[in-house]
Amino acid sequence: MDMSSINLTLKIWRQANSDALGGLETYNLDGIHTDMSFLEMLDVLNEKLTKEGKDPVAFDHDCREGICGMCGAVVNGVAHGPEKETTLCQLHMRHFKSGDTLVIEPFRSRAFPVRKDLLVDRSALDRIIQAGGYVSVNTGGAPDANGLPIASQQAELAMDAAACIGCGACVASCPNGAAMLFTSAKISQLALLPQGQVERKQRALAMVAQMDVEGFGNCTNARECEAVCPKGISIRNIARLNREYLKAVLSEG
Amino acid sequence: MWFVRFLTSSIGKKLVMASSGLLLFLFLCTHAAGNATIFMSSKVFQSYADELHSHPLIVLVFSLSLLAIFLVHIGVGLYLFNENRAVSTSRYAVSTRVVKNSLASQTMPYTGLFILLFLVVHIFGFTFSPKTVPISVTVKELLGNFFYALFYILAFAALFLHLSHGFWSMLQTFGVNHPRYNEFIARLTLVFPLFFFAIFAGIAFYFMTGLGANY
Amino acid sequence: MELNSRVPSGPLDKKWSNHRFANKLVNPANRRKYSVIVVGTGLAGASASATLAEQGYQVKTFCIQDSPRRAHSIAAQGGINAAKNYQNDGDSIHRLFYDTIKGGDFRAREANVYRLAEISNQIIDQCVAQGVPFAREYGGTLANRSFGGAQVSRTFYARGQTGQQLLLGAYGALSRQIRSGRVQMFARREMMDVVVVDGRARGITVRNIMTGEIESHAADAVILATGGYGNVYFLSTNAMASNVTAAWRAHKRGAGFANPSFVQIHPTCIPVHGDYQSKLTLMSESLRNDGRVWVPKNKDDKRRPADIPESDRDYYLENKYPSFGNLVPRDVASRNAKEQCDQGKGVGTTGLAVYLDFADAIKRDGRETIWKKYGNLFQMYEKITASDPMAEPMMIYPAVHYTMGGLWVDYDLMTTIPGLFAIGECNFSDHGANRLGASALMQGLADGYFIIATSVAHYLGTSKFEKVSEHEGSFIDSRRWVEDRIARILRNSVGGTAGKCTVDEIHKELGRLMWDNCGMARNRQGLEAALAELPRIRETFWNRVYLPGSNKEINQSLERAGRVADFLEFADVMIRDALAREESCGCHLREESQTEENEAKRDDANYSHVSVWEHRGEGEEPLMHKEPLVFEFVTPTQRSYK
Repeated sequence: MDMSSINLTLKIWRQANSDALGGLETYNLDGIHTDMSFLEMLDVLNEKLTKEGKDPVAFDHDCREGICGMCGAVVNGVAHGPEKETTLCQLHMRHFKSGDTLVIEPFRSRAFPVRKDLLVDRSALDRIIQAGGYVSVNTGGAPDANGLPIASQQAELAMDAAACIGCGACVASCPNGAAMLFTSAKISQLALLPQGQVERKQRALAMVAQMDVEGFGNCTNARECEAVCPKGISIRNIARLNREYLKAVLSEG
Repeated sequence: MWFVRFLTSSIGKKLVMASSGLLLFLFLCTHAAGNATIFMSSKVFQSYADELHSHPLIVLVFSLSLLAIFLVHIGVGLYLFNENRAVSTSRYAVSTRVVKNSLASQTMPYTGLFILLFLVVHIFGFTFSPKTVPISVTVKELLGNFFYALFYILAFAALFLHLSHGFWSMLQTFGVNHPRYNEFIARLTLVFPLFFFAIFAGIAFYFMTGLGANY
Repeated sequence: MELNSRVPSGPLDKKWSNHRFANKLVNPANRRKYSVIVVGTGLAGASASATLAEQGYQVKTFCIQDSPRRAHSIAAQGGINAAKNYQNDGDSIHRLFYDTIKGGDFRAREANVYRLAEISNQIIDQCVAQGVPFAREYGGTLANRSFGGAQVSRTFYARGQTGQQLLLGAYGALSRQIRSGRVQMFARREMMDVVVVDGRARGITVRNIMTGEIESHAADAVILATGGYGNVYFLSTNAMASNVTAAWRAHKRGAGFANPSFVQIHPTCIPVHGDYQSKLTLMSESLRNDGRVWVPKNKDDKRRPADIPESDRDYYLENKYPSFGNLVPRDVASRNAKEQCDQGKGVGTTGLAVYLDFADAIKRDGRETIWKKYGNLFQMYEKITASDPMAEPMMIYPAVHYTMGGLWVDYDLMTTIPGLFAIGECNFSDHGANRLGASALMQGLADGYFIIATSVAHYLGTSKFEKVSEHEGSFIDSRRWVEDRIARILRNSVGGTAGKCTVDEIHKELGRLMWDNCGMARNRQGLEAALAELPRIRETFWNRVYLPGSNKEINQSLERAGRVADFLEFADVMIRDALAREESCGCHLREESQTEENEAKRDDANYSHVSVWEHRGEGEEPLMHKEPLVFEFVTPTQRSYK
């Protein structure tokens, strides 16, 4: 056999719909090329299942270059799999060995209901942003862009936080299913920039309130979110969110 | 009401834990300082205790505040433990912790509960000990018992573990996280728990082994 | 089909302001009485939804992904152009206009392109006001870089994630309007049809991806912001869900499709490594600044690159184009790479790759300098290929990247169906036959933030609307048509898998056919052969495709099948367009139209027009119309890179 191909045992969470009971099903997949991405491996499995007349595994994915944030699953207990700062679509099969068993489960959280197989509903994250994750400016009439100087270091820090792709791995990996890293990334980005100052306090209050309404868990500083974040977003942002929230709650509204 | 909103929010609860944790930490500092006098001599220790109890009003206020802080820390802690357990139990067929050395953070509620058990034993043993026996004698008698002392040492080990996540976690919750200071904070998070362990477990060890039999 | 471009008269730099003044408005108090549908939430769709809602219209926005934040604009790496001239290096609106129209090989409308250049500056202002974290100089001003061979530094960027940051800005603005209730957001909906009532677009039919339900949505105007059709080739740098369906259905309802054969092929992508490959990844073009492109001189040379001596290497770009060398434009670089591989000199396991070698640059500038410049790109490459470009040459190959063609629109971005607008990549308007680097983001946002609201106001202000009901007439017909079609797609799946094939197999077959015959170099023979081959693939699809599952649930195979069915129809008009354009221009070499030195030869005398295709019914050949391109303000010139 070709040195660059491996055989795997896959245990994949199958669930017909939100109301159905799910369970792990086992599939044997041989001859997986190690240059494949993880999602291409699932494509191969799905082609095989289709040809056998079986229902393929539903999973979310779109850009397949690690930026849209649509893909994601928990592989052997780790969101987005074993490689650091890598989305599932950018994880390649060369990181696995022939004979490995991979348990593939959906991103789970009370706020992420499973819709089918590995496909979950993450619209709760959208609603957190809708609560205030923006600067309220209408189109038109913005002053000249260079009229607002921003220290390059500050812009870089804001960019560190803004790199979030909203995949939800932080929630999936958090022992409590908290969405603090996600929420803090947006709050940090705007708190660090002068454009975000006007609504700073209101934003922190509204986004945290929405986060709590959605049923995300409490942060216990377990740091798992930071460890699996494909964009390397630091929990320093969570510390900043805690400060922002405390300041806001003591002085606003 | 802002205060209710604050207390019921996820970050609010966390801040309550951190704030009460900070106060308990400060209490530990004073308690450790006072108890360390044991290593000087029973006389010094007894005079420290006598001095302390010569101000009953202060002791009363202090004890009641301490009780309140403990109750808050324990109550909110248990509430969070319960809430989080509802979210986290058997979410995945395979669960893997990516963070290395996460034992302390994973066991926070359990070490906390063990410390609570210790507190009950400790308060019955010392706070409510017969007023006729000097405290310097009580300590020797109680901790002179091997199993009693062993239980104490185990409790202080739990305290060590609890603080080795709790101290850093408290600062993180207060928003203290900066690359320039993080290493320093990480060291403090080891040094403080070690310090408490050395003093408190040291005392238990001191009497357990008979080293302090004639202190 | 009448093609009235409605380009305003007057001097070039006054056209847009004159036009805005001439356009009708809708009184702010009346705007809430009008509803507008926006399909797609990329840069164009999200910014249009937000802007229209801010102005007071009732907006219904649809996207195919689970969240509006994931549209494929997010993947744009390089940057966004603007004629700010912050660097004081001689840039101006006129220069950006000229560069864009020249870059498009003089196949775009002057007035549209000028407006784009004019608006470019407002876009940057708007995005900064939203908190988009653009790169900054130490003094706090915005940083720029030069991009795609431009002679000025006019590209604004946010690390390698400019598209993401701009999209998140627009998504934020959209989210704010969703919160306010002025935008109703429908995620996980795929548009299946445009509903035309009395000759005007009055709504859409969508499929709810989660439930399979076919839904109707009525409005007073419909805006399509549904992106490009690069996935007709199966492999492209597009996202997996990018498709032509919305545009194609609009076309079948009467919207002209312009220049469908104009496709940009990007020269520096990571090569295909196997049949299972689902997607191609772009590597920044900046790599060609220091990398040397070469192939072995001898066919089927299977030695490792390090073992091939200088004398056996062919630095074909440097040899053929001494003055530009490795920095020839995208189309020339792409074409030559394919040519070398077609001659059997390609490298790698598939033979479909050329080397991009940094060894000389490392020798010249040192490892550190090269790593500083390209380190992040090298890491990205290594993540995917497990090969270190610092140690051995990178392998690259061209890939389909952007489609300049799209729905024909007038100056107001309205298609030939009144009330149906097309913005962003899904229209054809601004990039001619080739798009400049860092201009796609600019166009999406110009259309969405600054142009479409004026057009919509004018349209609504000049028309009378009767109320239409989603429960009658054309809406029912459209739903029925969609349901029938889905039923027909699913028909073959009864009775097991024997003798059947999968959607992906057919899509791959179509992709290969298009890539081989309607890719970067085309000729009559190949195009005609492909045209003859298409019906067979289409027949295979309709008779043999097997789809598991039903219509009433999440069924990703069915989603793909619907898209492939439309690609199969669309490919026909694409090939016809390529056949009809017997000139080489922009991205494509028409092999019959070459200079004596085998370079692309444009034919302004015969092809200075937009080809606009009209659908004349099932089974009928489409009809081509021409919108002549008149150049009042610039003189078309021929490119030369020798």
